[in-house]
Amino acid sequence: MTQPYRPGYEVDPKFLELLVCPLTKGPLVYDSARQELISRAARLAFPIRDGIPIMLADEARRLEDAELNS
Amino acid sequence: MSSAASSTAASGSIEDLVARQFGPQAAAYVTSAVHASGADLEALGALLAGHGTARLLDLGCGGGHVSFTAAPHVSEVVAYDLSDAMLAAVSGEAARRGFTNITTAQGVAEALPFEDAAFDFVVSRYSAHHWRDLAAGLRHARRVLKPGGRAVFMDVTAPENPLLDTFLQTVEMLRDPSHVRDYRPSEWVRRAEEAGFLVEGVTDRRLRLEFESWVKRIATPPVHAAAIRSLQDGASDEVREHFALEADGTFTLDTLTLVLVPA
Repeated sequence: MTQPYRPGYEVDPKFLELLVCPLTKGPLVYDSARQELISRAARLAFPIRDGIPIMLADEARRLEDAELNS
Repeated sequence: MSSAASSTAASGSIEDLVARQFGPQAAAYVTSAVHASGADLEALGALLAGHGTARLLDLGCGGGHVSFTAAPHVSEVVAYDLSDAMLAAVSGEAARRGFTNITTAQGVAEALPFEDAAFDFVVSRYSAHHWRDLAAGLRHARRVLKPGGRAVFMDVTAPENPLLDTFLQTVEMLRDPSHVRDYRPSEWVRRAEEAGFLVEGVTDRRLRLEFESWVKRIATPPVHAAAIRSLQDGASDEVREHFALEADGTFTLDTLTLVLVPA
């Protein structure tokens, strides 16, 4: 369940630099259009809702093979 | 839907239970006088004074009172909690108070989504007794703390005496089924040291909890509140004295502030 993009809720890029994947501690890639934080190693996309990164594996979207290869 | 039905419905993980318990009560924790003030928060403010460039993690921020205490002193505050409702309440209150240096993220204490050595301070108040794994939470706190940084843990503690300990945990569980454990001071120190901390300071305090607001804040079902009163009525003199039981169910318990540095 992805929230529509809302410019008013853009997350501070400096804050995003602090965040890592809670499962692998690996880097996250910010997808600003989808408002997701992508952990390729965990194959998960963590949603950002109303400007709040949701760093829970249960709430994350499983990445498709096609997305990992892109 | 009655609060009794929602609070006694059984299902899901302890994290689900915590989120379900605290979600509807978020506003009550922002305004709770027990949570919003206290000598421990004043001491925290004094500890943070003069650290204007520091970044601080409020671990298990709940109603955000550590964040609001810290925000005037430090550069950046990250308010982190399992409950999205709590985080929304904290964001709203931060905006109302004009704090622009508080950001929020949602997750569990046992898997912090932050880089190693990301924070000058990690502060956690009245949260650890809800964690499924205190040792893991402490290891993560240690990991995200900078060398030379400080961690401050504040929580309700259980007495070292097993009789008093069991009474407290039972009452806590009846009040809030998402309760895990109030740890004894000796358990706190041992686990902190095992996680790679040195104990720099220990402060014991007592906290008086007015019964009606204490159960109302978390919407304790009446049947559970009645069970707590029944346990209190039948308590031994030792229990009565330690917890300073009062006629209306109000009682006083122990709290601890642990100031830790990386070992």
